[in-house]
Amino acid sequence: MTEEERVAAAETRAPEEPGEAKPGGYAPSVAERLALYQRAGGVITPVLTALLAFLMGGVVVLASGANPLSTYRAIFDGTGLNWLFPWVSGADRSLAAINLQQTLLLTTPLILCGLAVAFAFRCGMFNIGGQGQYVVGSIMSVWVASAFVGMNGPLHIFLAVVVAAIAGGVWAGIAGLLKATVGAHEVISTIMLNWIAYWIGSWVFALGGPLQSKANGGSVPVSHDIQANTHLPVFWGDPLLQGLHVGFFIALGALVVYWVTLNRTTLGFSVRAVGFNPEAARYGGIAVPRNYFVAMAISGVFAGVAGAVDILGWEFRINVNDIQASQIGFIAIAVALLGRNTAIGTFLAALLFGALLNGTSTRHLDPAVFRPDLASNLTLLIQGLVVLFVGADVLVLWLWNQRRRLRLGRARRAAEAAPTA
Amino acid sequence: MRSRIRLLAVVAASAVAVLALVASAGAAAAAPAHVTARSAPPKIGLVTDIGGLNDRSFNHLAYLGLQQAQRKLGVPVRVLESKSNADYVPNMASLAQQGYSLVIAVGFLMHDSVRQVAKRFPNTKFMIIDDAWQKGDPKNLEGTVFREQEAGYLVGYLAGLLEKGAATISSVGGQKIPPVDRYIAGYMAGAKAANPDITVLNAYSQDFQAPDKCKNLALQQIGQGSKVVFQVAGGCGLGALDAAKQKHVWGIGVDADQSFLGPHILTSAVKRVDVDVYTTIKQLRNGIFKSGRTFTFKVANGGVDIGKISPKVPKAIVNKVMAIKAKIKKGQITIPATVP
Repeated sequence: MTEEERVAAAETRAPEEPGEAKPGGYAPSVAERLALYQRAGGVITPVLTALLAFLMGGVVVLASGANPLSTYRAIFDGTGLNWLFPWVSGADRSLAAINLQQTLLLTTPLILCGLAVAFAFRCGMFNIGGQGQYVVGSIMSVWVASAFVGMNGPLHIFLAVVVAAIAGGVWAGIAGLLKATVGAHEVISTIMLNWIAYWIGSWVFALGGPLQSKANGGSVPVSHDIQANTHLPVFWGDPLLQGLHVGFFIALGALVVYWVTLNRTTLGFSVRAVGFNPEAARYGGIAVPRNYFVAMAISGVFAGVAGAVDILGWEFRINVNDIQASQIGFIAIAVALLGRNTAIGTFLAALLFGALLNGTSTRHLDPAVFRPDLASNLTLLIQGLVVLFVGADVLVLWLWNQRRRLRLGRARRAAEAAPTA
Repeated sequence: MRSRIRLLAVVAASAVAVLALVASAGAAAAAPAHVTARSAPPKIGLVTDIGGLNDRSFNHLAYLGLQQAQRKLGVPVRVLESKSNADYVPNMASLAQQGYSLVIAVGFLMHDSVRQVAKRFPNTKFMIIDDAWQKGDPKNLEGTVFREQEAGYLVGYLAGLLEKGAATISSVGGQKIPPVDRYIAGYMAGAKAANPDITVLNAYSQDFQAPDKCKNLALQQIGQGSKVVFQVAGGCGLGALDAAKQKHVWGIGVDADQSFLGPHILTSAVKRVDVDVYTTIKQLRNGIFKSGRTFTFKVANGGVDIGKISPKVPKAIVNKVMAIKAKIKKGQITIPATVP
């Protein structure tokens, strides 16, 4: 009986294996399997995932004694997305504009770092190193933009962005090269590279570090300020109050570059082929190791640009504490997962997380609506739930796929039980 | 535009309120229960840095000062936690937009952001903790700094009284930078004043985080005969206190009262950030708050102090330290601010 069941399970399982590729005898890696499952989910699962996370968050808000509806209303207004509603007017509208500027300001690096994770993902690799690549980009851009006094503004900006992009590319490229040559797993090497970037950043700007600013008697662990003419222009909002800078368009442009590279170039074709099935790609004449390296390096370029855009757009300098507290590259993993590694998906997921980060700030949650000392935990909670359910939707899909198998087994057991009764 | 006018109105109203309070000759803490709209007490906002409210340090102490002001002065308060550096500007701006009279920024991490926002809201007062006001900074901003050498002098004096004769004591600094050196300079001067024969060793770890570095330095100093180790190195310095515990000598904490670390803690040289915040709000309430300058917190106004002294210290010695504290209060002792 168990033998039969196993056979039946194997039979029903094969055609249900989602995705265009059929691995057959080849055993795919965790990242590849995850990608296969996710491609099968379509647009419904990420939307359900996010909704489920918010629903659970609401239950927790309720448990804390606050009203989930008014709390979510406050969070939503805090994101500034109500600016999109034409009936919001007057003072509410100008406040919504300010809030939306902050949301998009946070969305910008999330898009770029999200693409960094997504691009590697499409090549079958899990790039956990977005954070390190982002930090390396930040360090290089703040160094370039604070040096070279008297350089032409636009040229200086261009140089800072390019150097940051190269730095990010090299940083991720190390992990790609290690995978391509000696097969070192990219998850391990990118995590290690994150820490190396973290400590390099902590050292160069630390008290007495080589790039530390000597202003304030050298008592503050901070970089030099970047030159005033390297600030990216603010196109929406008040430049003194951290308005939205043109780096947002760099992020939008990166989305287009991402889509075109993956879907309209030979490079993108071979990257995707390796992502689907490296064995098949190799059989088809594609240089798999080379693609590992190239895909990782391109990933790093996206994250490096994210670092530059933040520095030139609104940070203008970087504190050691900021490097150590930054979580952008890790949130970006959730962005890519929720966005299903597509350009449009990454944009929407980045917008969701940017809105969450901004909307749950304590400044938007009146103490009458939600306890301020709990408010920052609420951010982490909803973020955590989204990430959890992003992971869990793979589980949901898996259960969905198991359903028929279970039903078949039950039917068979019932059929066998009937005669003996 | 309309919101700008409303903002002006609110600021004007609170200015009138403050004036009215001054006029009523010190009856400031009157009953906030029957205030009219015009004499409403000023609203006070506080923005933390990324350490958050539970950092057991600056942010936490600042919040305590704010709560004290709410209780004792009846001012409405609001605290905004910053989760990342992207929150600094929007947090301060949103308080200013909502008509808060005073916005307090905790710590030097907001050095640039507070100046940016203050420039945009000239009718709101801003205060930053542990960061000096300099020429060219906005006129509606007040910087506050601490005279660390006075706290250093007190703990050094205590150590000098405890270790008689040709004894040796020591300090471990994180780095040779002004705030660290002020503590150490005071410590050396205090110890010498209490015991002219004493030797004070000093070393810098070049680090504020890694406890092992400070621990190694402290162990070396203890090996050279040091009986008291004063740490001025933040998280790194906890290693120095650990070395003191291990070798059964005294340790002295810094910034916050670190007596909770164990019975080996002799005392701490403390910066009272809570006093800083409370005093500033009280000044605003009494109409004597002045921006466009740096306010110095010292022993005389309770801004720096000697922390809890170990109960094992004889009463006579504690009394002597308190006598010296009274002298510092009166400004009768000149304390160097730099290490020779």
